[in-house]
Amino acid sequence: MRFSVVKGYVAVKAEISDKEAIEACLRGDKEMYRHIVEKYKVRAYYLALMFTKNHEDALDLSQEAFYRAYRSLKDYDPSRPFYSWFYRILKNLCINFVNQHKRFLRMDDYTEATVPDLGERPDQLFEQNERTKLLWQGLNALNEKDREIILMKDFNDFSYQEMADVLNIPIGSVMSRLYYARKRLLKILQNFKGEI
Amino acid sequence: MKCDQARLLMMGYLDKELRDEEVKALEEHLKTCASCRREWESFQKLKQETSQMKFKPIPEMFWDDYWQNVYNRMERGISWILISVGAILLLAYAAYDLFETFFLNPQEPLVEKIGLGLLLLGLIILLISVIREKMMVRRVDKYRRVLR
Repeated sequence: MRFSVVKGYVAVKAEISDKEAIEACLRGDKEMYRHIVEKYKVRAYYLALMFTKNHEDALDLSQEAFYRAYRSLKDYDPSRPFYSWFYRILKNLCINFVNQHKRFLRMDDYTEATVPDLGERPDQLFEQNERTKLLWQGLNALNEKDREIILMKDFNDFSYQEMADVLNIPIGSVMSRLYYARKRLLKILQNFKGEI
Repeated sequence: MKCDQARLLMMGYLDKELRDEEVKALEEHLKTCASCRREWESFQKLKQETSQMKFKPIPEMFWDDYWQNVYNRMERGISWILISVGAILLLAYAAYDLFETFFLNPQEPLVEKIGLGLLLLGLIILLISVIREKMMVRRVDKYRRVLR
């Protein structure tokens, strides 16, 4: 039995491989999709939460993404990681949701979101403490590209293979982008308090 | 090993993505290169900091119902398809019936035929226009490609 944990939360069992579950779904066994949902629901929920900052919307969008992925399973290439394919569907939903919401709320300050903007209140997402606050400020100060790759790795538990697949770059480039993003984050944090 | 290569491998080491031989080679390099060692220690501290950032937990009951909610959507999705197919069949039959019993009936007044014909034609043009607009928006939507 294998366990997958995202940021210390719910552990889920995954005895059946993604490929087996998806093949069964394609043969019409809907119940097998449960293995996929159980395995990735925590990551999906917290990814949506980073975009929406709202529990109900994050639940709704992540569940909708699972439903849409199910509907499009025949388009999924089983040689690639499921989560990186699913991530695109969920991210697309979240982007549309956030941009529609922004347009509705603030017509005068409309900028399109393509990467989670951590917002002004870290307590919306994280358990609050001093360290969290500082790191959150540092992440917010990064450019979108750097923030996205750090969020993918450190907050959404992506493997390098999944990241390479999503970003459409080789694994070496994933390491390189992570290196420079983390380097810039360190520099920002050092500017905040002298030394991390 | 050069420092440039070591810097990239540091990420893999930090994220537990390196093969054993790569770990060995990097550790050897870190023993001999003080600047890379300093960098490595900073990255380790950063990783420690990020791993201590915990998302706010949500009550277990939401996880318990999670699959059921997805399943409901899957079932309802099929219902919508069936409803749509049924509605299309009924509409097609109604259109055929209307054509045969009303438009082809010589006893119906011509004015009524022309009026209803124009009304239906207008509705069809409107429908096509809306569908075309939706398709054009989809074609230029910058996030369209995000969904594979």
